[in-house]
Amino acid sequence: MIMLPWEKGNGRFTLRKPDSRKGGKPMGKEARDCREKLKSFLQRPWPYWLGGVLLAILNIILLAFAGTSWRITSGFLYWGAFFLEKLGLHPQEWYYFSAYNHGLNPGETLLNNDVSVITLGIIIGALISILLSGQFKLKPLKSKKQALVGLLGGIAMGYSSRISFGCNIGAFFSAIPSFSLHGWVFFFFLFVGAWIGSRLLIKYML
Amino acid sequence: MAEYYLDCMHEACPIPLLKALKQLSKMEIGDVLIMGTDHNCSIINVVEWVKKQGHAYDYVALGEGEWEIYIEKTR
Repeated sequence: MIMLPWEKGNGRFTLRKPDSRKGGKPMGKEARDCREKLKSFLQRPWPYWLGGVLLAILNIILLAFAGTSWRITSGFLYWGAFFLEKLGLHPQEWYYFSAYNHGLNPGETLLNNDVSVITLGIIIGALISILLSGQFKLKPLKSKKQALVGLLGGIAMGYSSRISFGCNIGAFFSAIPSFSLHGWVFFFFLFVGAWIGSRLLIKYML
Repeated sequence: MAEYYLDCMHEACPIPLLKALKQLSKMEIGDVLIMGTDHNCSIINVVEWVKKQGHAYDYVALGEGEWEIYIEKTR
């Protein structure tokens, strides 16, 4: 067996004991408490009120500096339109884009626009957060049924987010503080949809 | 005292919680339910619900992002 310099005689890589520090002193109670606190900070969910306050502050900062409130699914619209264009279709001629303002300024591209940058930031931020908590895991599809329902759900969400000016962020979270009535309509029907959805879930998915 | 295993791997909220609810209602008092999950919300919302119901519970991390939740039906 090949022996590496850090290996001891028994041929196994030996790790330093977690409770021993330089000089062999055991880890103090304070240091242990501090480590537990950090672990809980990274792994346990933060309270809802804290999340709400942080999101509100970040949305105000975004509005002040970018001049637009937080939206997510508009980014997916741009990404989808980009790929359709690459496939040779002409989504810019569709009725939807003449009836509604697509929100892109001249010169903005697939990635060079507020929405896409924020959405990519969310994905990267979520990845960092789950890696720090040590809970990252790639999950395969469990069954054909799960794949099919996921696909149908995605299509339903994508379609409806476009005709309602956004998902629960654009059409609810950002709409209500902007004094837009459509946010309140969305709020009410969110409950109706969740009620129907949970009935379907219990009936078909359990 | 029977023991049941519920496979909730690769399933997202609220399926693991609903599955546990359904399984627990079919079990006798004293029976143990073991749930395998890799959804980090489950170790929060399932455990919270079980606590509220007054059942005995515990959970262990089997690996990175993988847990087993143990629930003993007490009432």
